[in-house]
Amino acid sequence: MKFEDTSQNLRARLRGIQILVLLMLALLGVRLYVLQVVKGPHYASIAQEQRRRRLPISAPRGVIYDRNGHPLVDSRPIYNVILSREDLRGRDLSSLVEPLSEGLAVDADLLREHFDQIKSQPAFESILVKQEATPGDIAWVEARKLEFPELRVEQQPQRRYPPNGLLAHVLGYVGEISPEQLKQPAYREKNYRPGDIIGQSGLEQTYDEYLRGKDGYREVIVDSRGRIQDEIETIDPIPGQDLLTTIDLDLQLAAEEQLRTSVTGRGVIIAVDPNNGEVHALASYPTFDPNLFSQRIATKEGRAEYQSLLNDPETPLMNRAVQSRYMPGSLWKIPMAVAGLQQGAITLANSNLACGGGITIGNKFTRCMGNHGVPDVKYAITKSCDGYFYRLGLKMGIDGIVEMVDQFDLNKRTGIDIPNEVVSWTPSREFKRRMQPRDPEWRDIDTVYASFGQVYDVITPISLIRAVAAIGVGGKLYIPHLMKELRPVGEPGSSEYRSARTFQPVDPERPNPKVIPIPQDIHHEVVEGMWAVVNNYGTGAGIKMAGFEIAGKTGTAQVVALGKDVGKNKDHAWFVSYAPAYKPEIAILALIENSGFGGTHAAPAVRRVYDVYYRKTRHEEPPDAFPVAKKPNRSPARATDTVARIVD
Amino acid sequence: MVAIIHKRSIRDFDWLLALLAIGLVCFGATQIRHAVPGESYWIKQLIGLGIALIAMLAVAFTDYRKLLNLAPAFYIFGLLLLILVLIPGIGLKINGQRAWIKLPGNIGQFQPSEFVKVTTAMMLARYFGKNRLKALSFKEMAIGGVILALPCALILLEPDVGSVLTYFPILAAVLFLSAIKMRLVIASVILGVVMLPFAYWVGVKANLVKGYQQERIKVILDPENADRRGFGYNTWQSILTVGEGGVFGSEASTEFSQSSLKFLPEPHTDFIFAVTAGNTGFVGCMMVLLAYAILLSRLINGARRAPDRMGMLVIMAIVGGMTFQIFINIGMALGILPVIGVPLPLMSAGLASLIATFIAIGFAISVQLRRFVN
Repeated sequence: MKFEDTSQNLRARLRGIQILVLLMLALLGVRLYVLQVVKGPHYASIAQEQRRRRLPISAPRGVIYDRNGHPLVDSRPIYNVILSREDLRGRDLSSLVEPLSEGLAVDADLLREHFDQIKSQPAFESILVKQEATPGDIAWVEARKLEFPELRVEQQPQRRYPPNGLLAHVLGYVGEISPEQLKQPAYREKNYRPGDIIGQSGLEQTYDEYLRGKDGYREVIVDSRGRIQDEIETIDPIPGQDLLTTIDLDLQLAAEEQLRTSVTGRGVIIAVDPNNGEVHALASYPTFDPNLFSQRIATKEGRAEYQSLLNDPETPLMNRAVQSRYMPGSLWKIPMAVAGLQQGAITLANSNLACGGGITIGNKFTRCMGNHGVPDVKYAITKSCDGYFYRLGLKMGIDGIVEMVDQFDLNKRTGIDIPNEVVSWTPSREFKRRMQPRDPEWRDIDTVYASFGQVYDVITPISLIRAVAAIGVGGKLYIPHLMKELRPVGEPGSSEYRSARTFQPVDPERPNPKVIPIPQDIHHEVVEGMWAVVNNYGTGAGIKMAGFEIAGKTGTAQVVALGKDVGKNKDHAWFVSYAPAYKPEIAILALIENSGFGGTHAAPAVRRVYDVYYRKTRHEEPPDAFPVAKKPNRSPARATDTVARIVD
Repeated sequence: MVAIIHKRSIRDFDWLLALLAIGLVCFGATQIRHAVPGESYWIKQLIGLGIALIAMLAVAFTDYRKLLNLAPAFYIFGLLLLILVLIPGIGLKINGQRAWIKLPGNIGQFQPSEFVKVTTAMMLARYFGKNRLKALSFKEMAIGGVILALPCALILLEPDVGSVLTYFPILAAVLFLSAIKMRLVIASVILGVVMLPFAYWVGVKANLVKGYQQERIKVILDPENADRRGFGYNTWQSILTVGEGGVFGSEASTEFSQSSLKFLPEPHTDFIFAVTAGNTGFVGCMMVLLAYAILLSRLINGARRAPDRMGMLVIMAIVGGMTFQIFINIGMALGILPVIGVPLPLMSAGLASLIATFIAIGFAISVQLRRFVN
């Protein structure tokens, strides 16, 4: 360096710069080593993940048929507008509310609420913006691909349920999985994800895992704005299994017709095959439109409709057959009679007990509706003599009644394959302690009450018909069920194959049927009494059918005080039966809420369902086809007792 | 005579330096092609290389002293360009910055702030290049500051803060080599190290550092937990691209690479190094870094052997600017520095940067060619 001046130590300074330069480059090299060699695989997988997208292809949900192959529920393809989460890229959802609600004609408040709700869920894939998009909506989305690249149109099957709420409580409905459900372990185990449409009630819920099939997907490569660049693979969805139910559409229609035209329009009709527990009809009224949940729930009108269903005092959403408990009134006498004979409280040789027009326990008189002398058990059933059963109850004692309840599974769920079945309330010392903590002691008067279907006997219709149907076939207690068969899907042997299934009790330990040892002569005796109810001038004589002998029992259950209230708290009318009496094919129960006498209101409803059954199975007009229901007579108020009372 | 000079010129010509630079540009062009396969940027870059080579040769075979004597004229010309670019209609506005002059035809655009770096370096070399007998005076420092401040002020009007940042090392290198007192250097380094975090803290507290700027800093400190979809997006995507390269380069096809799918922004300019890292992996990156190391060392060696102070200073000013720019650009791609839009010398697509760098190299060669004269 010719110009070098040692005082400036220029050489050292140049060297200093050179070292600094190399150090800076070395620092970059170290950083490269960390990013590429140490953490390379980690970043590579993230990078690959962000350009891959799985676009779900919804599996078609299985069709639900009645037992004769009539389709009850199917799906049709609709188009939904959704927001893809991956492509949102931190874009503020609330900024989208206004343009989307305007462009797609959806309610802004609902959309905002939906966005808020879904934001809190960590793993959502997509957000539904509009269900059932019109061609105009789809065109709107396509035209704004650049402005809203995160919008997509997706095809999805939409469930279609029968009109007029037919079978609503049996079929149930599907709906989007809720955030609360996603937190429950039962749903987590099944790998449900936010936005999934699942069965939320009825058979749709019970057999969801079979009906839903398995969604497929398209795996694609997308660019940073979510535009599809290439397809990697397509996994076709596996369709859900079709469900053949035990429902007979004709019987069901007849049953619902009877309830709809009944005095109050509220009640239950159940028809089961006593020989295997197959439910041929299960109607609960009032009903609702399940399409509300599968089609309209995301709209403002749908929300309002749902709210009004929830607030309806007549509780249309409730399946009264399995979710409501009623006092069975005189229906209770059937299992009582069987158990009385089994336990030896009465014998076939001498089953006579006094009617006495009622009974006095302490200073309390509980009356019978008639004066039946000293009837035998058959006559007591036929005439529904309360006095007889007060005394039978006292002879059996509370322990005998508890044994009866236990034998007929009245204190258990029946195990029917629709969700949310409740357990009946049945008499026991324990039950009284809970019900009346001030007077916890079980007394004779309690035994009297417990012996004729009031106060301590609060039973679900489904468990009642199950018990009576079992008596009809001599003691075989089948689990009532609605699933006849799940049809197979796919080629046998392939991984997609789903084999056919028939009904299996949820609890595999539970015997089906549970066999109750009812000696044949005892069975015969009780059936004769029930036969006479309809066929020999009993309380149900009005529905007699020549050549098709119905064995039945009427019941009238007090709601407030028997016979007193003739308004909205009138008595519940019951009728339970099976036919033909000595070789039962079908058992039918009817409950008409707050209508009055069982023989007047429930029995005719049952008879009209039998007419349909007769026509179907005998291929001829039923004998003495029953006339259209006449307006019910008002029953004179007779009972004065404070407590419960049987009528018929 | 001409033949003799020529022969000697060919012998003394720094072939390694020139070939390294040309090699980096060609390699860069292949990476540009990778980054934006459908576009012709890489061809433009090669055309630019041709122009730049001519400029380099012209400078190399001209006596640098003659050129430096004309430095004030070049400097003023540079300032005029910077004024010109601010005029709407002439200056092209991209991403809110009016920093480009549209060139006729299809050649593209030209960024004067890149080019003016060279004229500023020349001006500084000229001013500080007198023989020096004593330590740097305050007055000299102030004049140096003014020389730098004029173009910087004009560039700030564009506004292009990133470019301005790359001007400071030019002055710093010149001052450092002009006998600035060591205690001043040490004091300012310490001050810088201490003040930077403090200033940041005060800035955050006083709300002078905006939220998005904080996010850009945060993504550097902790990329996995920063706002990767928002302001941290560029850095995060760059880290992913680099990381995906692994040791030998990504296996993803060009068609579906980070840049082709537009996850990585500005892949052919600001983030060309990330693209390179993704394609060629750790091995390729180390080669690039090595090439830069040799190139810069070669320039520094040239400065060391310069026949006069002016020649030494012009080379070192260029070294200072280039090193800093390389460090900022690659550091940004590797997520250790915030996103500042400066090109990577010799590799990023961009005519002005290319020509400016080659002119600078031309200066270095010119100085070396004349090391034995006088």
